[in-house]
Order: sequence, then C-alpha cells, then structure tokens
Amino acid sequence: MNWEFIHKYWPLYEKAAILTVRIGLLGILAAALIGVIAAFIRYRKIPVLNKIVAFYIEISRNTPLLVQLFFIYYGLPKVGIKLDAEVCGIVGLAFLGGSYMAESIRSGLESVDKIQHESAISLGLSNRQAFTYVIFPQAISTSIPGIIANVIFLLKETSVFSAISVMDLMFTAKDLIGLYYRTTESLFMLVVFYLMILLPVCILGSIVERRVRYAGFGT
Amino acid sequence: MKTFTKVLATALTAAIGFSLVGCAANSSEEDHIYRTLDEIQESGVINIGVFSDKYPFGYVDENGSYQGYDVYYANRIAEDLGVEVNFVSTEAASRIEYLETGRVDVVLANFTVTAEREEVVDFANPYMNVALGIVSREDNVITSLDNWNPDDSIIVISGTTAETYLIENYPDIPLQKFDSYATAKEAFENGTSAAWANDNTEVIAFAIENEGYVVGIPSLGSQDTIAAAVTSGNESLLNWLNDELVTLGTEDFFHADYEATLIDVYGADYEDELVVEGGVI
Repeated sequence: MNWEFIHKYWPLYEKAAILTVRIGLLGILAAALIGVIAAFIRYRKIPVLNKIVAFYIEISRNTPLLVQLFFIYYGLPKVGIKLDAEVCGIVGLAFLGGSYMAESIRSGLESVDKIQHESAISLGLSNRQAFTYVIFPQAISTSIPGIIANVIFLLKETSVFSAISVMDLMFTAKDLIGLYYRTTESLFMLVVFYLMILLPVCILGSIVERRVRYAGFGT
Repeated sequence: MKTFTKVLATALTAAIGFSLVGCAANSSEEDHIYRTLDEIQESGVINIGVFSDKYPFGYVDENGSYQGYDVYYANRIAEDLGVEVNFVSTEAASRIEYLETGRVDVVLANFTVTAEREEVVDFANPYMNVALGIVSREDNVITSLDNWNPDDSIIVISGTTAETYLIENYPDIPLQKFDSYATAKEAFENGTSAAWANDNTEVIAFAIENEGYVVGIPSLGSQDTIAAAVTSGNESLLNWLNDELVTLGTEDFFHADYEATLIDVYGADYEDELVVEGGVI
C-alpha cells in the first residue's frame, strides 16, 4: 500500500464523493416525489392516469439503470434533447427510483385498514383531510423500511454513472487505475468512500425506522 | 457519539478486510500468475486481449467475429503457436489489469508503449507507429491547444495515452472522460465536446468515415510505438513474440496486414508511416 498515492489522490475522491452524494440526493428526492404522486394515483385508481403509472412502473422496474442512462444520455440528443451528464444521472435515478418508491408507498397505503378511512369520514373529515392526517401518516410508517432500502439501493446504483462520463467514485477509481496502475490503493479508497457515504445512511435509516413505529394502528 | 464510533469502527474493519484480501491476492500472484509459452501450447488456447470497438484495429464485425489490424496479427500468433485463439474484449483502462491478473496472455489492443506502462507490463518489440491527434467539427476546427476556451472540453478515453498527455501538458483543459471507444464516439457525434483526442490513427479514421469532421491537429506529443504486451516477467512468451516479429518481418507480414485491414480506411499513403516490420523502427 502506497500511502503517498492515497494522500495525493484523496481530494479527487472527495470531489467524486460530493458529486455522487449530490446526484444521489437530488435523484432520490425526485424519486420520492414521483413515488408519492404515482402511489397516490395507483391507490385512488384515478382513471387513465392509473394505467399510465402502471405502465411507467413496469418499464422502469424491468430495465436496468445502465440502459436507461444510455437512452437518456446517448439516445435523447438524437431527437434534439441534450442534457448535461450530471442532469442525466439525476433524471435516470429519479426515473428508476420513482417506481420503487411508488411501490413501497403504495404497499404502505394499502396496508392501512379501510375502516380508518371510514371512521375519519364519519368523524366529519373531508376526503383530503382523511388522507393527509389519517391514512398517509400510517402508511408512511409501514413504508419506511422499504423506502430506506430503496435509498441505499439507489445510492449504490450511482456506480454505473461512469458509462455516461460522470466522474463519480467508481469512475474515479477506474480512471486512476488506468492512469497510474495502482489498483490496490485506488480500490481501497473506493471502498472507504462508499462506506463513509452508505454506513451513516444505514444507521440514520434504522433510527428513523424505530422512530416512526408509533404511528401504526393496532400494534 | 457512540453511534459515530460504531460507524467508524465498522468502516475501518471493513476497509482493512478488503485491503487484506487485496494483499493476499497480490502476494500469491507474484511468483507465477502468467502462463508460460509451454503452458499455453499445452492448453491449446491462447487468450488475447483486443478491442471490440476500435475500428479498424480491433472490432467485431456484423457476423460477430473479431476483425482489424491487431486481430489479424493475433490470429497469426495463434496459428504459428499451433493453438486456438480466444479473444477477450478489453477497455483501454483495464488492459494492464487483464495482464496483471493473468486473465489474458497477450494484450494486442493497440497498446502504446510508455515508460509508465513498461514498469508494470513487458512490451514486445513494436509493430506500429502512432502519435496523438485531435479531431474537431468542420465548423469549429481546432488547430492548437493554446488559449483554450475553458467552457469547452475535450473527449478522452479513460486509460489512454491521450488522457495522460493532456493531464500532464494541458492540466487546465477540461476533459470529458469515457470508458469505451463506442461511448466516446457516440458522445462526440452528439456534440458533447468541441474535440476528441486519441491516437492519431483513430481520429484520422474517424474523420474519414464520418462527414463533417476534420483532424485539426494530426500529430501531437511524441512519436510512439504500439506493441504487444505480456504479463511482467513472462519471458518465454516475450522472447517468442520478438522472434516471431523477426520471422514475420522477412515476409513483410505487417504490410500485408495493412493492406488487408487498413487500406480501405487510410489509403496507401499512410502505409510506410504506420507499419513497423521486424520489430525495428
């Protein structure tokens, strides 16, 4: 292990880590937003939209992120839509993550007993109030483990971004190996940086999971 | 705080674990990761790393078989060794790795000889000349790298000599890095960057094949050579390759190779400039 090499290229990894986290965070936020909307449409079975969302979910879940990224980055410019590589990464992550989030949230929504909705209505709450104050909080508490698993999954998926020339952690490591042939050091730093990003997410996740348990009905 | 300590401890343990795996693998590989000439002949198959997307040097044709200048040479090596050839598709950045881990016996992926690379792999004598070149769009021809507009970038392929050269000599020019020829080409055609830097053979071929592109800088940096590479220390195979080059030189093999694979792209003009016979420049 050549520590001098590690010392010299540590800042490069820091830059890559920030990029990875930035793309990951924005992508995941967008995915969560898409997820909530899509889950709501599926839950309420809103006509037409329901079909479209179902179609989207199947497409997105059954194609690899790499293929989606290729399509967005190399395909779309052919029809005149040219996006920055970083934006492509965020869009790709949001497209893939949206469906996973939607399914997690929908399973939460559907796990809430029908009687909850009926009781809320009979107490004089409007449909919207019932959803916002009664159904959704309970659903989220059930969905949280799934959502956190998705967050970690999506963060790890960022490692395929090298295919569209985003200098993320994975590509930085590959590039350094190609440039200076220091495989052990490059991979060592790669592992350390991924752990530094993912372990806190994991731990934060389990804390959040414990915290939101209270909202469940009948448990 | 307790949680933080726990995180740190776990991270360190895992990192050390990973690096130990790396070390262990390295030390056992050191004595004999490669296959000697005898072992290759005994097994009846030679594994040769080539490009699958670098037309016209190493590429896969419409029938799914490997073609090109490097491949033509690879086939001859296998024939003269009396073994079958197994082509392994490599990316530029992974060529060294393939040799260091013994996944291929020889790399014939248009591999430019450099001092840094010579430290980690063994090169045979050369079979081709090369320099760097830069191709740009007809409406914005780049003829010099000085006074570079910092908003523009140059496309390079990760792990190539073009990348190393630009990092060392023009550190302020933003590079857009790709991991394969196919994706770099695609991105260049989509107009992602103002220019594409690569081996001049490659950019000349690109400008000939695609309309609207001009090689504004046909020769950049030093004149280099391209050679076959073997795992460091694999002397029996290296010596055989060098002897083979001498034999092939007597029959002008690489001229024949050029005429079979490159002449359609470059015409006859580049033949004597590119080809190296007998391993001697």
